[in-house]
Amino acid sequence: MTPDIAIVGIGETAPVRCAERDLRSLVIDAVYEALDDAGIPPGEVDGVVTDSIVMPTTVPHDYVMAQLGATSRFDGAISYGGAGIACGPLQAALAIDAGLADVVVCYFGVDWGTRPSGPYGFHDLYPAKQAFEKPYGFNAQPIYFGLWTRRYMKEFGLTPEQLGSVAVQQRQHALMRGGGQMTKPLSIDDYLSAPCVADPLRIPDCCLITDGAGAFVMTSRERARDCRKPPVPVAGVGFQSIPVSGDSVFTQDPNLLTTPAAQAAADQAFNMAGIKRSDVDFLELYDCFTISVLMQLEDMGFCEKGEAGAFFESGRAAIGGDLPVNTHGGFLSYSYRLGIEHVVEAVRQLRGEAGTNQVANARFGAVGGFSLPDYGVLILGDDD
Amino acid sequence: MTIDEMTSAADIAIDGFQPFWDAAASGELRFPACCTCERFHWYPMVRCPYCNGSDIEWKSIKPIGSVYSWTVVQRPFDTAFKNWTPYIVGLIEFIGAPGVRLITNLVDVEPQAIQFSMTVSPAFDLYDTAESRLMFRPKEMPTGSNQ
Ligand SMILES: [Zn+2]
Repeated sequence: MTPDIAIVGIGETAPVRCAERDLRSLVIDAVYEALDDAGIPPGEVDGVVTDSIVMPTTVPHDYVMAQLGATSRFDGAISYGGAGIACGPLQAALAIDAGLADVVVCYFGVDWGTRPSGPYGFHDLYPAKQAFEKPYGFNAQPIYFGLWTRRYMKEFGLTPEQLGSVAVQQRQHALMRGGGQMTKPLSIDDYLSAPCVADPLRIPDCCLITDGAGAFVMTSRERARDCRKPPVPVAGVGFQSIPVSGDSVFTQDPNLLTTPAAQAAADQAFNMAGIKRSDVDFLELYDCFTISVLMQLEDMGFCEKGEAGAFFESGRAAIGGDLPVNTHGGFLSYSYRLGIEHVVEAVRQLRGEAGTNQVANARFGAVGGFSLPDYGVLILGDDD
Repeated sequence: MTIDEMTSAADIAIDGFQPFWDAAASGELRFPACCTCERFHWYPMVRCPYCNGSDIEWKSIKPIGSVYSWTVVQRPFDTAFKNWTPYIVGLIEFIGAPGVRLITNLVDVEPQAIQFSMTVSPAFDLYDTAESRLMFRPKEMPTGSNQ
């Protein structure tokens, strides 16, 4: 059954490498912007949901609720990073549909541009990684995905040009949109001559590093009708994981070249929404690396395994193509806030507010959130 | 609970790897295997993930592996590794321990010479207990071998 809630407000700070303000200030700005967008007074928020690891340790729920002057009746946290953001509406639907909360805020932000450990600090969560992997210099995401990419190229015949076409496509989207962190064009020749970080991955294969925050506000579909902007219904949400721990998942997953749980999470979300893959008008996928976009496109069921490289290279993922992917430029060229910007962008598209990057007649959009070994899928929109 | 009482996961001691290092020091390669279903697993676990058995033994295997994948790291992500680059991270599989993939550094080989399924063996002679690092190198074929 499709959830009886809608997203009614969105907010995000301008993406930058290093912000002048601290992370907590950025989050509060984004939450206030989202509430203003919804036309809901801050004091009426009565529920808060985030991922369960990054936000609770950096910008906790109680801090945000205090800044809103709001009393919490529901407090939830799920997965970490991307899957936690995509599944924020799963928790909000449980609370709102059960009458436990009326207005639920989901927020996320990072200051990895400013923080010395950047995105690599997450290794501290995993003792086995510390004890066994770090001594080999196996200590950063580009190295993990470099290993995967080399093997994927052998198994599926992916070419460097196909891989690069993801970076090139998303750069085009970011430049069309404007306001993102990357402002210079990227041709396939530029890509192929870019230095390797952990081969075969080059600098443009890797996501940006960002200081910034985003937020969105959810309420019942009934109350949503009275909000400032057209509501964007939550059509379906899916969450799944596989029984491989975060320590081991980069090396020991038996299906190492398949995005863990992506198919199952997508099946759950599509079943809940009661629509087919072909009903989706655009995708916002967790593009930490070019290779992960290709894998998710396949593993969520939008391409056969091994075909996503050709899909991108032939322009089918462009705005105006069969299935536009990462319409704002994604983590590779717009900003890297682990997917809160993906939800914000999907809402803009479905409201028809995406300007130069508007996908014509967009009715349904899907967001993929990747947090090994978890995966979250959020489908937004309706038939109207 | 107060914030002061919380412990970072990284502060939790991990002693599950000690049998691996003890084996390496004596020139052996050992991985944990379940005594009930006989399957190997990696990393070390308290219970067998396949049958939930608790009787787990570190089994010695023939120290010959094959390259599943590799990457040449060109830039350090941690200042501790700034003098290492470029270095090679390899992921190795073992006929003697199906399902296990081992992270290592490949040494004594030019990156261009590495191939998928290339046979490698542990560089026990380079193993230093202080470093907790067992590297691998291409397996030398015996002189006169036509393999
Ligand atoms: Zn067993």
